[in-house]
Amino acid sequence: MSVIAEHGGIAEHIHPEPQGFVRKYVFSLDHKIIGIQYIITAFVFFVLAGCLAEIIRIQLMHANGGFVTANTYDEVYSIHGSAMVWLVIIPMLTGGFGNFVMPVQLGARDVAFPWLNMISFWLFPVAGLMLFSSFLMGAPVAGWTEYPPMSLQGGAGTSMWCAAIFLVGVSSTLTGINFLVTILKMRAPGMTFTRMPLFCWGQLATAPLLMIATTALAAALAALFMERQFGVPFYDPTKGGSPVLWQHMFWFYSHPAVYIMILPAFGIMSEVISVFSRKPVFGYRMIAFSSAAIALAGFMVWAHHMFTSGIAPYMQLPFMVLTFAIAVPTGIKIFSWLATMWGGKIHLTTSMLFALGFLVLFTFGGISGVFLAAIPFDLHVHGTYFIPAHLHFVLVGGSLMGIFSGMYYWFPKMTGRYLSEFWGRVHFALFVIGFLGTFLPMHWLGAEGMPRRVASYDPQFQWVNQLESIFSFIMTAAILIFFVNMLYCIRNGKKAGHNPWGARTLEWQIPSPPPYYNFKHIPSVFGLPYDFTEPLPYTHLEDELTDAPVTVGAQ
Amino acid sequence: METNKPGRGFWVTTAILAVISIAGVLYFWLMPSVEPWLPPEGGHPGDQVDWLFRFMSSTAAVLYTFVVGYVIYFAIAYRLRRSDPPDALGVQVHDNAKLEIAWTVVPTLFVILLSILSIKIWYVLQIQPTNGLVVESIGRQWYFTFRYPNVNGEVTDAMHLPVNMPVTLNLTSNDVIHSFWVPDMRLKADMIPGMINTIRFTPTRVGRYQIICTEFCGTGHSTMDKQTMVVQSMPAYLAWYHDWQQRNAHVSNAIPTVSSGAISLAGGDAAAGRTLFSQKCSACHALGPFEQRIVGPGLRGVLHDESHPELVDGDEATPADVAKILQNGYTGSMGHMPNQAENGLSNNDIANLVAFLNTLK
Repeated sequence: MSVIAEHGGIAEHIHPEPQGFVRKYVFSLDHKIIGIQYIITAFVFFVLAGCLAEIIRIQLMHANGGFVTANTYDEVYSIHGSAMVWLVIIPMLTGGFGNFVMPVQLGARDVAFPWLNMISFWLFPVAGLMLFSSFLMGAPVAGWTEYPPMSLQGGAGTSMWCAAIFLVGVSSTLTGINFLVTILKMRAPGMTFTRMPLFCWGQLATAPLLMIATTALAAALAALFMERQFGVPFYDPTKGGSPVLWQHMFWFYSHPAVYIMILPAFGIMSEVISVFSRKPVFGYRMIAFSSAAIALAGFMVWAHHMFTSGIAPYMQLPFMVLTFAIAVPTGIKIFSWLATMWGGKIHLTTSMLFALGFLVLFTFGGISGVFLAAIPFDLHVHGTYFIPAHLHFVLVGGSLMGIFSGMYYWFPKMTGRYLSEFWGRVHFALFVIGFLGTFLPMHWLGAEGMPRRVASYDPQFQWVNQLESIFSFIMTAAILIFFVNMLYCIRNGKKAGHNPWGARTLEWQIPSPPPYYNFKHIPSVFGLPYDFTEPLPYTHLEDELTDAPVTVGAQ
Repeated sequence: METNKPGRGFWVTTAILAVISIAGVLYFWLMPSVEPWLPPEGGHPGDQVDWLFRFMSSTAAVLYTFVVGYVIYFAIAYRLRRSDPPDALGVQVHDNAKLEIAWTVVPTLFVILLSILSIKIWYVLQIQPTNGLVVESIGRQWYFTFRYPNVNGEVTDAMHLPVNMPVTLNLTSNDVIHSFWVPDMRLKADMIPGMINTIRFTPTRVGRYQIICTEFCGTGHSTMDKQTMVVQSMPAYLAWYHDWQQRNAHVSNAIPTVSSGAISLAGGDAAAGRTLFSQKCSACHALGPFEQRIVGPGLRGVLHDESHPELVDGDEATPADVAKILQNGYTGSMGHMPNQAENGLSNNDIANLVAFLNTLK
């Protein structure tokens, strides 16, 4: 009786597993299947957007361009940016890893609203197809930021772009609500906020950003759509609109969005570095607190994207200082991870290598972010290749390295099999070399005078661009190796068992792949998951790896 | 289990990293010129930006050396060795209050210092003299035009400025957002339709500097870097200024509109048309064959091309039809060609251009 009293409520109730392919794998309500659906869909869009990236690099092999027309080039980089942000990184880190890992780490059977979760997912591939279909009717040309009045001149596909991003925004918002309620209400007994794994802290900091910031973007997109389709003047200055209004609304979303893209990756880092250093994560409370601090401050820095847009000069100052200030909590995380590695017994698995790569590359992107926050320097490099350099260092060197690290780490949990470690190392080495060769010289190009979003450029920069393109082919080869590795190892990888890494969070205490109901009995938690010398801080897990029967229905 | 005090290797590594970072600081602080990293300096207050770049780069060198150095050192020194049992554990430290306070407080102090320095330089940008030459620049798809006091119409060849004279540059746009950037001056502001943004600076070095648009503004954005800022001595500037004043004396300052009715082509001056073409058309049209597209088709022999007896609007290639396209613009399968209100050509300009195009064979 005491168990039931302690565990009372809906969490103990196990629904019967749905039967049939469609209910099980297509319109599934299971957070793990939905998570994998997100990951697969996002990887499909990643391949498409990656092909667009290579079109960009081939075009820039020659100073006069010539591979595609200037207009096609503009369409290509606009869709590349939009797809990578909204169809790859955000869904992968929130809908993908968040869905698969977070409920199990919390000791829950599912997210709070499984139906809502299914709807969130199915909006996402629809929105993705809509986004790519804009190529058929003249895709947007003004980049992923689509500043009006330029976006008012763009092809008919720009309206389709608005609708697609709006839809993917609805999907994000619903996921944010779902995750927030899940983390607040569905934690296993004893799983207090100070015992929660740091990946869940990352998701907890991200969820309100998804909920609140995305609504501002939705409003901005609706207005742009209305102006384009029905001539309602919001942004056209000749009709009394304001082009700068869009920039405020867009960045009020898109700056928090960069934290949506990095906070879950921070969470992955905390898990991976602690597990493979065989040490408790250093300064748990400071890492958790700094995630919340970054999320909060992330709402108050959007105008640092607009220092050249003519906002009142004194208004620029608080945005600059607050942006500098975000370096403090971010620095705390980096230093804490370094301290976690100190004195460890470091297993240099592929997942850990990507985590180390993250530390090296993301820190560089963070530092160039401080450069950009300083108004006088930003006035020089704004709108130049320095910006793509910075954003690829944080989004590829940060978020994507985090995604790779998480894939190598959780793939055994998803499939029960390892990814090949050998090919993983090849992937890592080629990727880092290709990445540095592609994006490091862009800082110099920007500072020296090459503007971004150009289909042809000053011939003095041609040799640098050719070098970058060659390195980008190496990066592409690395990603191909990764995909082949994944496709091969789903069926043929080495069997991994339920806890191949010796990790202590809850998802590793149940079979791989986890059963439909996750836990036969909801566990109780009495400690942090990072104390390697202590016994596991969970009770009621004795039956999880045995043949003990599952009681369907209320227990 | 190992001791939880750092060993000798850690301190040796720290010493090596300290030496490397001091070398980095000295390099960025003492390098004779920022030229390896930024274009040569052409004016004030751009020199202030260089100072901030030196400061930020040298401090970044310290931070980055230590982060990368420790990542590599820890990964090697604390790796699981073959001699270790596979389930060996690291030193079980959870936190260290002193260390955590240190790496919160030190970066906070640095942020305060960087804020003070940046605000100081920001303030220098705000207090530039307002009593110098006032020039307006208007962004258009896809070129810049310049307006000078007491010069009629718009100057399109280049932006001429006297050296060592403070300049107030008022920026706006005629169509979409452009951004005005002269890398050598380290200055930039967006040109936004319906708004005026201002840059104040003083060029201090004679020379020609590229003006580059850094905000995507349409198909021709990539080619919007052909014009220059010409900084010259005061006598040379004045000579240019008076010349333009006379040359533009007849130009109307009225806002351009699309004129009604057919344009008279009598008296078109092909030489004047050639100059106009290089200023206003060459961003989008080459003087090569039809297939050589920049944005629009190449115009060599536009009126004498037997393989293209019709123009893009489907009418027969006659001087009157070229004039009609220049007057009313064109939107269709070949793209968009601005009309007279957008391209700012007068009826006289159109007659000159048609005369010039007629000479191309």
